[in-house]
Amino acid sequence: MIKSASRFFLFFFSSLFALGFGGTITYLILFALDVVSEPPNLGYVLTAIEDTGSINVVTAILLDYRGFDTLGEATVIFTSVAVTASILGKPDFLFERPVLNVITQRAIGFLLPIFFMFPLYIITHGHLSPGGGFQGGVSLAVLVVLLHVVYGHQLGLNKVPIRFLSSCEYWAALSFGLVGLAGLFHGVGYLANLSVGFPQGTPGSLVSGGLIPLLNLIVGIKVAAGLSGLYITLAGNVRKGL
Amino acid sequence: MNPQILVLITGGIVWSIGILGLIIHRNMIQICVSLSVMESAIIIVLVALSYVPEAMAPILQGSSGPFTDPLPQALALTAIVIGAGILAIALSLTVAMYRTFGTTDLQVIFSREHSDL
Repeated sequence: MIKSASRFFLFFFSSLFALGFGGTITYLILFALDVVSEPPNLGYVLTAIEDTGSINVVTAILLDYRGFDTLGEATVIFTSVAVTASILGKPDFLFERPVLNVITQRAIGFLLPIFFMFPLYIITHGHLSPGGGFQGGVSLAVLVVLLHVVYGHQLGLNKVPIRFLSSCEYWAALSFGLVGLAGLFHGVGYLANLSVGFPQGTPGSLVSGGLIPLLNLIVGIKVAAGLSGLYITLAGNVRKGL
Repeated sequence: MNPQILVLITGGIVWSIGILGLIIHRNMIQICVSLSVMESAIIIVLVALSYVPEAMAPILQGSSGPFTDPLPQALALTAIVIGAGILAIALSLTVAMYRTFGTTDLQVIFSREHSDL
């Protein structure tokens, strides 16, 4: 047991250390900001439409300029799901949490289709407005969590089985990898977009930007399956007591 | 004052809070929360780095005015995804620890190890 005086000193010196650490890092970032000054309009912002066909430059960077990096991000989610499942084991749902009352269940039943529209909009309009596969996928995963919290684990597992989630996960990962191969066959580069010959369409319309809407859809499915799989693995291993 | 510098200093304060929580807490779940707070500080800094004075969001529809830098925003998305993965793995390790030792308090576990020696 630590005495209160020594606990106070521990807290005091920890605060000093944290303040010093944070202050040093802030100072370094501010110093670097003085050294590097950016022009108001960067080159890749101005040429993004000709290069990618997407008017949302963040999506253009994520899925075109740095598409390989996004494949790595998707692999990070895949790996974390795999590691969590291998640490915790198969979810068995021994501890059934109390479900919410009937009024909430009926209300959520009416509202779920409307809730479902939002992630679909975010995913399909990823190249037109803020959002994209990752954000929409997280919103979809939240719907699965809502299903489990409101109706209980049994109905949640019946509606969205674990087998369905895992097959979504690996089929999406596989198709992301295979779609990128088209660039290699045309001799351009892995995950190349418009230079392969995918149709550009009118920038600003729903079907435009070549590969980008397809990749958004794939990433959305993958993130939704991965994050709801994480929730199911963590929630299914709760025990009463030890 | 320049809003970018203000937001960067806020990020530094949030980072310090995360470091402090990482040092003084002995419970694994609180340590996970502190890690998450530190990661939020990094995201604040990344978003602040994309600041351009009087600029709009980088959506090129019918405007040619200055746009904010989209590259740090894309990197912030990467940081969020990796942070979510790290948090999930840390929490699952916490659950495994609770199953083995019956507690998530590191101090209790360490003192128990010492009493065995």
